Amino acid sequence: MPCSRYRESAHELVDGTIGPIRRAELESHMDGCLDCRSLVRDLETIRAAAASLDPMEPPARVWLQVAGRLRQEGRVRALPGSSPAHARSARHGALLAIAAVLMMAVGASIAMLVSRLATSNATSPATIATTAPGGNAAPGATVQDVETEFRLAEQHYQNAIAKLEQAAGLDQAASAGQASGDQAMLDPQTAAMLQKNLQVIDQAINESRSALRAEPQSAAARDSLFDALKRKVALLQDSIALMNEMRKGDASGAAQIIQGASKS
Amino acid sequence: MTGAPNLVGGPTGRAADLALVARCRAGELGAFEELYRAHAGKLFSVACRILGNVSDAEDVLQEVFLSAHRKLDGFRGESALATWLYRLATNQCLNYLRSRAARTGELTETLDEEPGLYEPGRTGLADQTVAKMDLERALTQLPAGCRAAFVLHDVQGLEHREVAEALGIAEGTSKSQVHKARLRLRTLLGSRRR
Repeated sequence: MPCSRYRESAHELVDGTIGPIRRAELESHMDGCLDCRSLVRDLETIRAAAASLDPMEPPARVWLQVAGRLRQEGRVRALPGSSPAHARSARHGALLAIAAVLMMAVGASIAMLVSRLATSNATSPATIATTAPGGNAAPGATVQDVETEFRLAEQHYQNAIAKLEQAAGLDQAASAGQASGDQAMLDPQTAAMLQKNLQVIDQAINESRSALRAEPQSAAARDSLFDALKRKVALLQDSIALMNEMRKGDASGAAQIIQGASKS
Repeated sequence: MTGAPNLVGGPTGRAADLALVARCRAGELGAFEELYRAHAGKLFSVACRILGNVSDAEDVLQEVFLSAHRKLDGFRGESALATWLYRLATNQCLNYLRSRAARTGELTETLDEEPGLYEPGRTGLADQTVAKMDLERALTQLPAGCRAAFVLHDVQGLEHREVAEALGIAEGTSKSQVHKARLRLRTLLGSRRR
């Protein structure tokens, strides 16, 4: 009997769904077939390895953005009195909305910039002919135009960062060298971790800026700067989400955010 | 050795799903957060593995939950809420992959006629265990359809009936896709060791 006849049965054996008759046939065949024994063993190994893959948790900012969009579109409401402090809840709503709006504004700027840069790479370095219908850039846009857009996009990020820093109270904490305002809700170790991560990201921003000053046309330096700015926006969003979880007294939610933020 | 979670959840589970969905439909943000916390981890795991990219998975997950909120009126409780969400998530992932392939010119191959795929002794793991990282890497080399079926069945532990419902395919097709995926993985993981 050809081995291919037992292919289906081999999978069913591994899944534990094989019936007694087919099982007996397969086992009888495997007694004399090394290849089929090896196949079943390998399928079992793969099945076990797949089942042991670690679950993955989304970063806290995903829920923050979902909730922000739902609020912005007027599709949800918080139950009156559901929060221990209604004023805090309202402020949380405002922070969610700020975060969502800023991320959308930044995203649109970056999409526009990427589109322009992609076009510039595909055409002459001096002149960018973006004539595709519906394209963002005007026909005949130059490298200088792209530079202007780049600066505009960077400015969007800076604005986002400034507003998020203000919302999280991290600007005052950083300048005073101590936790202040909302940040005082965090335990000293967590506040120190956030500050340390912010310092690392700020250093990356400064280094990318220096590289870009030295080589203004370097796509790698631009990517690096945007990546660092994006990381800073994400970390600040995590900080706001963390303070909100602390307000709600949700220790597990807070622990999840701390875990994510510590990897920033 | 199935260990598969039953997503249908029985009448009690179904009633709880419907009650939660009713609160979400009424615009209660806390209820939708409850729904998110219960399902986001599983959907994110699936999205990461189908898309092979954490950043894309974050974007898709956000869209899945926004889309779920918009479509809550269409949830009648015929299937478990988890299955309904898996369906939204896998559709979003596969659409995302299709549009990414169209943008970048990636090939969307199938496993239908690969010569020698079914030969039992063709390649083997030589009695070795499979490292998680090797398996994650090999997964990214599977065609999208059978990768999705494999992730839902072998990684997430859904039954073929549930995989079929989530992917909008026949139960027999789900089995065939999972089987092909395992055989291709065996080849990929076996050749890595040589």
